[in-house]
Amino acid sequence: MSTSARMIVVLTLIVTISGGVLSSWDSYTAPKIQQHRLVELRTAIADVLPEHDRYDELTLPAQTLYVGRNAAGEPVGIAFIAKGSGFQGVISIMVGVGMDFSGLTGIKVLEQIETPGLGTKIVSDPAHKANPSWFPEQFVGVQTEPEITVIKNRPPAAKTEVQAITGATISSRAVVKIINDALRQAKSDYQSSLKQVS
Amino acid sequence: MGKHKATVAHEFIKGLWDENPVLISLLGLCPALAVTNSAINGLAMGLATTFVVTSSSIIISSLRKVIPHQVRIASYIVIIATFVTVADRFMAAFYPAISKALGPYVPLIVVNCLILGRQEAFASKNPVGRSLLDALGMGLGFLMVLFTLGTIREILGSGTFLTYQVLGDWFHPWLVMVLPPGAFLALGLLIGLSNWINDQRAKA
Amino acid sequence: MKIILIFISAAVVNNFVLTYFLGLCPFVGVSKRLSSAVSMGMAVTFVMTISAAVTWLIYNLLLVPYHIEILEYVSFILVIASLVQLVEMFVRKVSKPLYDALGIYLPLITTNCAILGLALFAVLRHYDFVESLVFGIGAGAGFTLALVIMAGIREELELANVPKYFQGAAITMIIAGSLALAFMGFSGLISI
Repeated sequence: MSTSARMIVVLTLIVTISGGVLSSWDSYTAPKIQQHRLVELRTAIADVLPEHDRYDELTLPAQTLYVGRNAAGEPVGIAFIAKGSGFQGVISIMVGVGMDFSGLTGIKVLEQIETPGLGTKIVSDPAHKANPSWFPEQFVGVQTEPEITVIKNRPPAAKTEVQAITGATISSRAVVKIINDALRQAKSDYQSSLKQVS
Repeated sequence: MGKHKATVAHEFIKGLWDENPVLISLLGLCPALAVTNSAINGLAMGLATTFVVTSSSIIISSLRKVIPHQVRIASYIVIIATFVTVADRFMAAFYPAISKALGPYVPLIVVNCLILGRQEAFASKNPVGRSLLDALGMGLGFLMVLFTLGTIREILGSGTFLTYQVLGDWFHPWLVMVLPPGAFLALGLLIGLSNWINDQRAKA
Repeated sequence: MKIILIFISAAVVNNFVLTYFLGLCPFVGVSKRLSSAVSMGMAVTFVMTISAAVTWLIYNLLLVPYHIEILEYVSFILVIASLVQLVEMFVRKVSKPLYDALGIYLPLITTNCAILGLALFAVLRHYDFVESLVFGIGAGAGFTLALVIMAGIREELELANVPKYFQGAAITMIIAGSLALAFMGFSGLISI
């Protein structure tokens, strides 16, 4: 066999075997990876809609809303994923809100690449021994009308206010802005979907 | 040194210190710095790299007489990329949290010069057994450095080791250690330290 | 607007070398002389831009439609390796001076993690074609910037009295650490 023919044969064989190995490996691992994503989604929804028992997916043109229902089947709240710019990159947050979009039932940061030790306090603050997740937890029960606002250096006075993280004001503001923007969008999307049904 | 006269044990041991891929040859710096903000990430990256370099070395040294010289690099990178994909999907399927933490640095094992370097310098010229030992030694040498770096950076930067608190409340974490500058500083000091140790050994 | 942000982000704020640690091998190896640093930077920017375009096409026109994303890494690295060879042949044919300037650096680029890293990041961030292209140019500019700064410092360093055990790689890492610290000042400037 000539050298160039051998080159082509060997390379083709290697690529073919590689493709074969990988596609069987893919069919073995893909369902497991899919399963992890589903579990992650379910856990996040459970975290932000504590009263829900199961949820329905409401697929709208712009986004997917998760309508949480209690054991009796009554809707108890809506969860959706909010995304936007943080200090260093995209932050994505699962947001839970009551059916009338007026009060938050919880938030959970899903993805972020904020500065370790400062911006990452939006997820967990190890310096705050009593409650490391004080920042996300203070969103529970916050009123969304007219909008959520960030305050500094004083305790929240109104029900729409949340406290900024010292040293990570930009990350704190970013989280609130992402939630505010996404809430507005989700509310109008949800209401227009109701109109279409009725 | 006479490669073919080297003992079998030497093939394994050299990668651990004398020819350590990171400290001596400065190979695979990208993952050594990027993922060592915690000990567990360093360990995971070290294990994944050891797996890829060992499996690729076995395959490539058994095929060393079949692969034509002109297409060897292309063949090597296809084989390496295949094992990297296997490792990447394995982590995503069984250790999703670590897979998420390492992110795109797992696929970047493909271009870790350490791996291609071992194929070109060793596996393509040596029998399977020796190549396996060589690759294992290099992989473990790499793993050791990554784990050490991860440990130092995690303890100083977060006050924890494998997420357990080891330094008390009096310690204010040096945030810079888990940030990019800390990676460069820690590796620079580690290389300096290894130079010093080698010098002491040479004197002794 | 987003295009400009992607460029600035890739070039300074999230500098490939100093915050993502991509392309460190040439960063350590080729940063001894300013002139070779500039040539290497140009060669990398050139290959990066082209490979950003080609890998985008491969991923979105081949891998996604046929659901063979599992072949992402294999195909990307093959494409990059062949691209580097093609670029080398092309440059040699077209321009002798350019080849003399970039020639010896081109083969080194195949295993430069910045090139593959760029392709992977572009996929992760769902960039469209133009955005990927700009991302490639920006990342290349950032790589060149880091390399040139480093080479400038290392040329001065030859006159400095570096402790014995820190000569060479160790001091290079520590300088890179200081540079990374300086570049952190850009963080938060923009984010996308």
